[in-house]
Amino acid sequence: MTKRSLPIRIAVDIGGTFTDLQILDERDGRIVSHKVPTTTDDPSRGLMDGINGAAMRYGFTLDEVGYVLHGTTIATNAVLERRLPRAALVTTQGFEDVLEIGRHNRRDVYSVWPRPQPVLIPRDRRLGLRERMTARGEAEIAVDQPAVADVIAALSRMEIETVAICLLHAYANPVHERRLAEAVAASLPNLTVSCSFEVSPEIREYERTSTTVLNALLQPVVRGYLDQLRRRLEVEKFSPRLLIVQSNGGVCSPQTAAREPVRLLLSGPSGGAKAALALALHTGDRFAVGVDMGGTSFDVSVVRDGRIEIVTQSEIDRLPVRVPMVEIRTIGAGGGSIARVSHGRDVTVGPESAGAWPGPVCYGRGGTEPTVTDANLLLGRLDPAFFLGGKMALDAGGARQAMDRAMAAPLGLDVDAAAAGVLRITDSRLAAAIRVSLFEKGLDPRDFTLLSFGGAGSVHACAVAEELAIKRIVFPIDASTFSARGILDADIEHAFARSAVRPFDGAALPTLAAMADEMRTDARARLDGDGIAPRDQDLRFAIDLRYKGQAFELTVPWQTTAYDEAAHDAVLELFHQQHEQRFSYANRADVVEMVTLRLAAIGRLSRPSGKAVEPSVRSARPTSRQVFVANQWRDIPVWRREAITAAGTIVGPAIVEEDYTTLYLAPHWRLRRIALGHLAANFEGAEA
Amino acid sequence: MTALDVIELEVLRNALTAAAADMDVTMWRTSRSTIVREMLDYSTAIFDADGYNVAQSARIPQHLNSMGYCLRTIVEQFIPPSDWHDGDVILTNDPYCGGQHLPDIVAFRPVFYHGERVAIVGTLCHHLDVGGMSPGSYAAGATEIYQEGLRIPPVKLFAGGVRNDGLWQMISQNVRQPAIVMGDLQSQIASLAVGVQAIAGLSEKYGAATLAAACQRLLNNSEASMRDVIARMPDGIYEFEDFLDDDGIDTQKPVRIHATITIEADALTVDLSGSAPEVAGPINATLGSSSSAVYFAILAAADRAIPANAGCYRPIRIIAPEGLIVSARHPAPVAHRISPCHVLLNVLFGALSQAIPDRMPASYYGVSYVCAFQTRQNEGGRKVLVEIEVGGCGAHPLGDGASAHSFGMHNNASIPIEMIESDTPVTILGYSLVPDSGGSGRHRGGLGLKRQWRIDSDNATFTAQMDRFQFRPKGLMGGGDGSRGRLTLIRDGIELTLHSKVSNMQLRKFDIIRLETSGGGGHGTAADREASAIAHDLALGFTTSHTPA
Repeated sequence: MTKRSLPIRIAVDIGGTFTDLQILDERDGRIVSHKVPTTTDDPSRGLMDGINGAAMRYGFTLDEVGYVLHGTTIATNAVLERRLPRAALVTTQGFEDVLEIGRHNRRDVYSVWPRPQPVLIPRDRRLGLRERMTARGEAEIAVDQPAVADVIAALSRMEIETVAICLLHAYANPVHERRLAEAVAASLPNLTVSCSFEVSPEIREYERTSTTVLNALLQPVVRGYLDQLRRRLEVEKFSPRLLIVQSNGGVCSPQTAAREPVRLLLSGPSGGAKAALALALHTGDRFAVGVDMGGTSFDVSVVRDGRIEIVTQSEIDRLPVRVPMVEIRTIGAGGGSIARVSHGRDVTVGPESAGAWPGPVCYGRGGTEPTVTDANLLLGRLDPAFFLGGKMALDAGGARQAMDRAMAAPLGLDVDAAAAGVLRITDSRLAAAIRVSLFEKGLDPRDFTLLSFGGAGSVHACAVAEELAIKRIVFPIDASTFSARGILDADIEHAFARSAVRPFDGAALPTLAAMADEMRTDARARLDGDGIAPRDQDLRFAIDLRYKGQAFELTVPWQTTAYDEAAHDAVLELFHQQHEQRFSYANRADVVEMVTLRLAAIGRLSRPSGKAVEPSVRSARPTSRQVFVANQWRDIPVWRREAITAAGTIVGPAIVEEDYTTLYLAPHWRLRRIALGHLAANFEGAEA
Repeated sequence: MTALDVIELEVLRNALTAAAADMDVTMWRTSRSTIVREMLDYSTAIFDADGYNVAQSARIPQHLNSMGYCLRTIVEQFIPPSDWHDGDVILTNDPYCGGQHLPDIVAFRPVFYHGERVAIVGTLCHHLDVGGMSPGSYAAGATEIYQEGLRIPPVKLFAGGVRNDGLWQMISQNVRQPAIVMGDLQSQIASLAVGVQAIAGLSEKYGAATLAAACQRLLNNSEASMRDVIARMPDGIYEFEDFLDDDGIDTQKPVRIHATITIEADALTVDLSGSAPEVAGPINATLGSSSSAVYFAILAAADRAIPANAGCYRPIRIIAPEGLIVSARHPAPVAHRISPCHVLLNVLFGALSQAIPDRMPASYYGVSYVCAFQTRQNEGGRKVLVEIEVGGCGAHPLGDGASAHSFGMHNNASIPIEMIESDTPVTILGYSLVPDSGGSGRHRGGLGLKRQWRIDSDNATFTAQMDRFQFRPKGLMGGGDGSRGRLTLIRDGIELTLHSKVSNMQLRKFDIIRLETSGGGGHGTAADREASAIAHDLALGFTTSHTPA
């Protein structure tokens, strides 16, 4: 455990274009950042390049590095790009097609040729096992040796690398899955095996199967990547404690990641949400909405009373994934979103995107349809000579032509008005996404601070805030590597869940207590294995409850260690209150059912005290340029970010530039520097 | 209108759609019945102050394009606009007052801003049961609407925010499993409240006059877009027909659905006069139901997405003399009104494929396969389980049809087997695709599915409302027809083929019901199918032989 006393902690977030690093030195609490290009062929090379580069730049040695916390999209990309191994699925006999039929409703109501969700294991590699478990976990047809042998024989002929096992009601009794898994391990030791009772022990067979299948497919992928990474670290004689970021924002050991890789699947945006939380706690904004806008997507996360929520199901490529993840709403709106007019009347912006390639017209790589970035450029908010800190020249002429042809001419507008319209629609879509995220929880945007980060968000933040009557915006330092900042704060986190559908009453308490005991034992063992001392182990129970008959549960924290009447009554009351807040009513006379008991087992890593390096304050004078503000061109000041100080506030309209992002401060907003180099803007109200 | 309004309009359109989505989320998350929470059989919508639909949630086409019809009927014939007050909730389920079938309860609430009605919000929910002679209110043997359940004329459940408790009790006492039904009704009311809040917020922000002007503009724009779409279709007269197997009463007599579509410049007339007269059994549709199929067909056939609202309907004229299967009169029974609507949609697609062959698919499975079980345990307790299954989609000029996927007039999700078995004494013995059920062709029709239920309670009743057991989903351009549906009772190991309509059949413990649903029609001739596609189908067991059936 000597690693823990080493002073340097590094968070690495490998994205599609850049590998972002944030480095904490625990000796003085300083946090610094670094950025290198992502090496797509072998991402571990970029990771090592980044760490070596940072070591050189900031003067530490690899021997001083205690932890490397690693966020990776390797699992996500493997699914999206279908770089997946050959796999088989074993189900209860007669249910081999559940994976293909899914829930069979369509997304596009008016489609004449609907495309169902993708099927990742084809029909000829889905096998039925003769067995049947009931909803109460009783074996109606017990699994026997010949049945297992038939499946093993079939699997051995399939030339597969990995197998998923998902039997009906395995969440209620896993003995059949366990028996088959043991037989596979004994007879076909080269296969990796994923069982539904381990990956997703919760009711609803399609969602559980989908999650288990994704886990099985990702096991060889993630294991292969982690092996590659381990070898690279060995070559470099670099031996930090490596931890991998999960979808719930916590980290886990490489062993856990290799066994349950589905837990990494939606980890991409979780760093951003965690960073938003850290920032909100830092600045004292206990109610904040974090927005991360890049080239193609806009992620919204909500900090509510100093906490972010974890949801238990999400999806990737239309496939349900049932693992805990940080609650994030993503819409297809980014700098690359395409603007179109049809029939000279209907204007839309997005969700189609020009993506990173060819990208907006102004990138000059062959894009022909005008995008949000083109509109920002045409209205002077972006500087054609200072994009990505001047590393990429933008083609304003091309953008103008495209905007004219595709938008201005059909609408009978001039180019300025057309571009302003594109931004107006974009801002309204961004605002709508935020509003829905808050609405779902019964929250009012006016009580929130907007936290704006990501490369493309800060030119829209003021307009979006005004749309929502939000009065305060925080623009964090290093907005473009901000997700890595969230990773730096992560703790080890394991999620456990157990389903048992029954009335939530006094009679359920012994069952609950027994379930909780088992889960607690498993969790302690897992955290001990991670080398976490008992005093740093934090076990948080919660229970999913619903009114009898409802299909969707609310997760209510179980705040005591007791499972007695008093604890029951407190949890029940909390459920009624949550239901009322979210859905505007509660029925205290109704029967309440329990569905799933959950446990988040947290191993606290030492908390970085977090002192970002204050950028050197230059008393630079602003330059100025022509920007389209409220329907007219005006000459407004352009500041370097470093020039904004705590003392000297600036008033909109103004532009604030840094290397990887640009901030547009609208009229009526006042901007100043706050602690740690972050900027905060306050709305001053409209002039008469 | 000035140019800037174009931008403002898109902003408001997004906001109105978001309001419908807010209502949708509320409905979904709070509902009680498996029909709503798992099958998602409900819809939400926003209407302008006069009752014209301006925004919809993405749910059930049959609902979405009929709620406006219902609302207009209420306003014009039952409760004039001057009687709609703040805090009122007006509901009905009466097919003869603009509703669909009795289980569909529609609820509306006006939105007032500074004393002025600025909009109306609405929800439609398919309820688990509204009484009548069969559980789930799907009486296959009904010959009058009186047998189908409780009929609620347009009436105020809330007046000025105060609930009519007598009416609430009246409904509660006339339905099976009242806790679930009233729970879902409460979800509808909660959803309306959310809609009211959202629209009031928009009125506050943009002003009531701007909101009203935007609604009119949205309707006009969709009308204009629809006219553009129709104008690009070749002028002409296009005819098509198909048949329902029977009405369940006279089991030997097919029921004709016929449509003639006349396209002339930017307008379109759909003449349904050639369809059969209304029938004795509960497969009649009122004009409110069948016009929804017409609107859906034309919207789906458009070569680009048009914001769906009442403006889309304006270029479309429907001719349907009273008293036909598609324009039934009181007191004809209508429980399975979706049946003629599904077939009508296939007929309309067939007619349109003559005008726009490059984008219309072959026929889909064409029926909602409704199974309603009521189980009773000796120690008491009855449970109603309504399941709606789907089949194969029609092949498209661009590729194979989707297998076992919701299409056309409905959009149901399946109910998880583990949820059913946790709640009801029923065991599902299998859920799979049916090989060889898709119509052959250059592009193959989607496969139907098979589902089997075993009754585990001491006794149970079973009701089925189905079709396509005789008339197969049609192939197009030389493609083969999809397979027929089939329903079988297995008792003591002996198989008994059932009719497509079954009313209150008594089942015993361990009886098995097996349903096989129809596949979709194929597109193009089978001889043109790629060798690799044929080999792929064989390898995966979608087909079992080289020669198409």
